Amino acid sequence: MKKLTSILLVVVLTLSLSAGLTGCGNKSKDKPVLKIFNAGEYIDKSLLTEFEKAYGCEIIYETFDSNESMYTKIRSGETYDILVPSDYMIERLIKEDYLAEIDWDQITNKNLLNPDIMGQSYDPDNTYTVPYYYGTVGILYNKKVVDKEDLSDGWELLRNEKYKDDVYMIDSERDSFMIALKALGYSMNTTKEKQINRAYRWLVKQRDTMNPVYVTDDVIDNMISGNKSIAVVYSGDAAMIINENKDMAFFEPEQGTNFWTDCMVITKTCENTELAHEFINFICDADNAYINTQYIGYSSAVQPAYELMRDDDYKGIDAYVPRTEYKKDEVFTYQSNKIRKQYSKLWTKIKAY
Amino acid sequence: MKHFRSMTIPYIVWALAFIVAPFVLIIIYAFTDGGLSLTDASFSLDSFHDMIDPLYATVFARSFETGLITTAVCFLLGYPMAYFITKFDEKVQSILILLTTIPMWINLLLRTYAWIGILSDNGILNAVLKSLGIQPISVMYTGVAVNIGLVCNFLPFMILPIHTSLSKMDPSLLEAAYDLGANKVQAFVKVVFKYSIPGVLNGVILTFLMAISAFVIPKLLGGGQYTLLGNLIENQFISVGNWNFGSAISFILAIVILFTISFLKRVDPDDET
Amino acid sequence: MKKFHTSKLLYGIYIGILFVFFYLPIAVTMFFSFNSSKSLTHFSGFSLRWYVNLITDREIVDAVWVSISIAILATLISTILGTLTSIGISKCRKVIRELFMNINNIPMMNPDIVTAIGFMILFSSLRIPKGYYTMLLAHITFCTPYVITSVWPKVKNLDPNLADAAMDLGATPFQALYKVLLPMLKEGIFAGALLAFTMSFDDFVISYFVTGNGVSNISIIVYNMTKRTNPTINALSTIVILVIFVTMFIVRFIPYIVRKNKKGRNHILHEEIN
Repeated sequence: MKKLTSILLVVVLTLSLSAGLTGCGNKSKDKPVLKIFNAGEYIDKSLLTEFEKAYGCEIIYETFDSNESMYTKIRSGETYDILVPSDYMIERLIKEDYLAEIDWDQITNKNLLNPDIMGQSYDPDNTYTVPYYYGTVGILYNKKVVDKEDLSDGWELLRNEKYKDDVYMIDSERDSFMIALKALGYSMNTTKEKQINRAYRWLVKQRDTMNPVYVTDDVIDNMISGNKSIAVVYSGDAAMIINENKDMAFFEPEQGTNFWTDCMVITKTCENTELAHEFINFICDADNAYINTQYIGYSSAVQPAYELMRDDDYKGIDAYVPRTEYKKDEVFTYQSNKIRKQYSKLWTKIKAY
Repeated sequence: MKHFRSMTIPYIVWALAFIVAPFVLIIIYAFTDGGLSLTDASFSLDSFHDMIDPLYATVFARSFETGLITTAVCFLLGYPMAYFITKFDEKVQSILILLTTIPMWINLLLRTYAWIGILSDNGILNAVLKSLGIQPISVMYTGVAVNIGLVCNFLPFMILPIHTSLSKMDPSLLEAAYDLGANKVQAFVKVVFKYSIPGVLNGVILTFLMAISAFVIPKLLGGGQYTLLGNLIENQFISVGNWNFGSAISFILAIVILFTISFLKRVDPDDET
Repeated sequence: MKKFHTSKLLYGIYIGILFVFFYLPIAVTMFFSFNSSKSLTHFSGFSLRWYVNLITDREIVDAVWVSISIAILATLISTILGTLTSIGISKCRKVIRELFMNINNIPMMNPDIVTAIGFMILFSSLRIPKGYYTMLLAHITFCTPYVITSVWPKVKNLDPNLADAAMDLGATPFQALYKVLLPMLKEGIFAGALLAFTMSFDDFVISYFVTGNGVSNISIIVYNMTKRTNPTINALSTIVILVIFVTMFIVRFIPYIVRKNKKGRNHILHEEIN
């Protein structure tokens, strides 16, 4: 019995040690490694495996819940090669000197990219960014439950007590404040303390009277199942939900909303920049972008993929064609530390209510 | 034999590096304002000033309330369970205890995920209610769901210590009490309950401590708006990046818990734990 | 006598109801892991597709390896560390012992989120890259106190002169330790190791805050996947649950089987002698 236990112990120990050593990713001394940090559910993983096989490398893929948590992780010392942040976060990263310049000669698929999405305010010459997906934020509602007249309230629909306990909000600081500021007729990038405080009170009143539930990706399955009648969603998520639940419809309030773009960027700490460019180019390939878009459901910056989805898979779903030229729509801009802290504080208070 | 004393050295070094040092760092971050890096930090009580805001007091209060409710429910359900188990013979008892222990082994995330499937608005619970013709209830993302998840998770932690104490009791003591004229209630209170007090204290402390600092279950079952202390701390560290404020809250939480435990321990004469 | 039986029945019913409460989510999870559709409410047919998904998903398989290997390594190291330390500390002065025990209790009494961020701050401040090894270090740190809590009471009850007696009879300190002390502490060591394994395998919060470099364990993977309905998690749960059930029952009933065998052998021996 004793001998058996000691043999068992040795076997177990060796197994776990080998598993441990291989598990920490150091086996590939000859294989180059690419570290990618992306939002959750924002890539078709089969593309990663394909890229690894095609280029003989290893991809370490991590996901973040929000741009803010991504930023905190980078600030705490974690290094990545490719990031996929949103507009205002990219602005911040550029200002704080985290990003490396894109060598567009290596991006052979660049002519497939939608020229309307190129040249955004935060990076007019695309020195640092390669567009990935874009869209707006709007309200998804159940046609069978919500009265058509109430839709004209725009963002105030979210405070219509008729739909109390029936609303999903996005668990995101900037998006929630955007809604409140737009509803009050202010710019969503305001730095005026009075306006910010008014928006804070708007959100607190909403919390008080409507009892909204703050969710992130779980809104998708919840709305497909029709668990609530109203949700604030990104246009891409709306398209995916409507595709599965025909009772749902999407609209962008006339008070204006946030027009957002997410881009792939390369960090200054990236060593294997050639491989990074290969990856970005790979994602911009027409076929790959189409596969990716079928999984994610958002509007792709790669024209052929976008058009195929619009005319085929998501035909008739206008959530897939987000509003791009509306005057009242804005892009998020960089916030100074002081303003950011103020927003954070207020947001924490709203959630802790 | 002085030989063996040196065996403690490795762990003492380890403890200093990995137990004491992190705790000291938390205290440093709590009392400075340098943000993520310590290089330009200066002493500041800003974090503590911020905490005085009544809305944070709400979070503290809600955490305590959740802790108390969870502990109370676990006690009310768990004590009878522990007591009833002792009524069976040894072999059956050990199987029953084994069955009570097994859920604790199953990964917390997996168990909580299972509850999501049941309590979801379109989950099993409502599917069953619908088929019985009863109005479906929306329990997901509310305090009720969080409490159910917490109670289900912590109930074994209440049952096991109570059972351990109760099983140490000599059953002939009960008979002796009856012989001396006590009725059932008196016998229970004066003999059985008294014996179980160390176990009860153990279970109550354990459950309460874990419930007020719970973070995963409130996050998954309560949604983004159900903020307990654990969620607040996580939010400050991961999303907001205000490590000073997060450390200050952690520091207060740790102090409160340590005080509660040492206070309760003083009431309990048993030194085993 | 009759009263006794009906009350036992009532006890049994109460216990049964609570067991339903414990095991319902588990049963439901396992049931729907065999569902041919994605739904977690309507069973549309038997299928093993989610298990196939599970085995082919490299991320999940890696995570399982990480959970298991870290649990085993952390248990082994913390058990050895904890046992040796418990023995050593019994020979120290009371003052040192008290101080030590208080420090030892910190990871157990501290809420896990505070311990977790303590580690995160430590590793970040020292610019130690987070990954597999930081996770292992953290696990060893929070497992060892549990081992000490299990072993120390047994050490306290040992005769303090045992080791001396052994050495007087010619044993080296190492032999005294290995052949005399450790066997007497077997129960406590085993209980401590079991506890350490549970704590490590089940951990989420601490692992979540100290990992990096793409290393995930089961808890982290499930946490990231809870946002979308994914029956692959059900398949993972089912396997984990079955393994635990089987292991626990084996662990519990091996002593019985061993004893039965011994009895059998003794019986045969006895017969042969006669």
